[in-house]
Amino acid sequence: MSKNSLELIFESKARLKILKFLFRNIESDFDAREMADRIQEDPRFVKGEIKKFVGIGLLKVKK
Amino acid sequence: MAKRKNKKRITKDKKSVKRKQRKNKMPRKKKSKRIKVVRKKNKMKPSTKSKRKNLKAKKVLHKGPVLAGETSLRPRYVLNHDFEFFYELRDLILKSSPAENDGMVQKINKIGRVKLAIISGVFMNKENMDSLVPDLLIVGDDIDRRKFRSFLKSLEAEVGKEIRFAVMDKEEFKYRLAMFDRFIRVLLEGPHEKLINKLGL
Repeated sequence: MSKNSLELIFESKARLKILKFLFRNIESDFDAREMADRIQEDPRFVKGEIKKFVGIGLLKVKK
Repeated sequence: MAKRKNKKRITKDKKSVKRKQRKNKMPRKKKSKRIKVVRKKNKMKPSTKSKRKNLKAKKVLHKGPVLAGETSLRPRYVLNHDFEFFYELRDLILKSSPAENDGMVQKINKIGRVKLAIISGVFMNKENMDSLVPDLLIVGDDIDRRKFRSFLKSLEAEVGKEIRFAVMDKEEFKYRLAMFDRFIRVLLEGPHEKLINKLGL
């Protein structure tokens, strides 16, 4: 199995990073800026991804 | 009209005004007028500077709670456990290797003369096995702290979690190994992987 197969499936390294980050910190909550800082990716990209994830119901806004 | 009123008040002497104030316990709105009157009497004008200060103070007062609200209002996100493929996706993601070993070896070699690099814990996909076990142990000399820190930051970004690490020089490691130090023993007895091993361990 090639090492970046998951990266290919998820289309980008950054998106995989976000997912990894979320599932490795499963109980914690973050805002977009925090997340971008922790995974060292472009905040705008992270915001966009978060929007998509919220749209499909993987993420929810914590009240 | 207002000006005329002020003029009338100015004609009264200070004491009588004060007495009146005490007697009537004037409501707040009028208080500000009184202050103005007293100032005029003393031929004092509220300086533009102090005016500005007041304005600033007002602005800050106004801004303060809004700013505080902004930080707390920024939406915080959390994974939704009710998502259709939540558990499948979790298994898939967590099964992936946290970080590429080859890339790590190259980076570790750049931070100094590293004799031994062991990964464990989060890298073995076994989290919180033992709070004593570090995720990363590096034994080496002349380690560049700045490079190490940036390496650690990028590694944490890739792994998506904080990394518990330990750095020591060769002497200390040998000493700890010889005296069966618990910290080293637990690490070496548990699941781990040696990325760099120039000590013949």
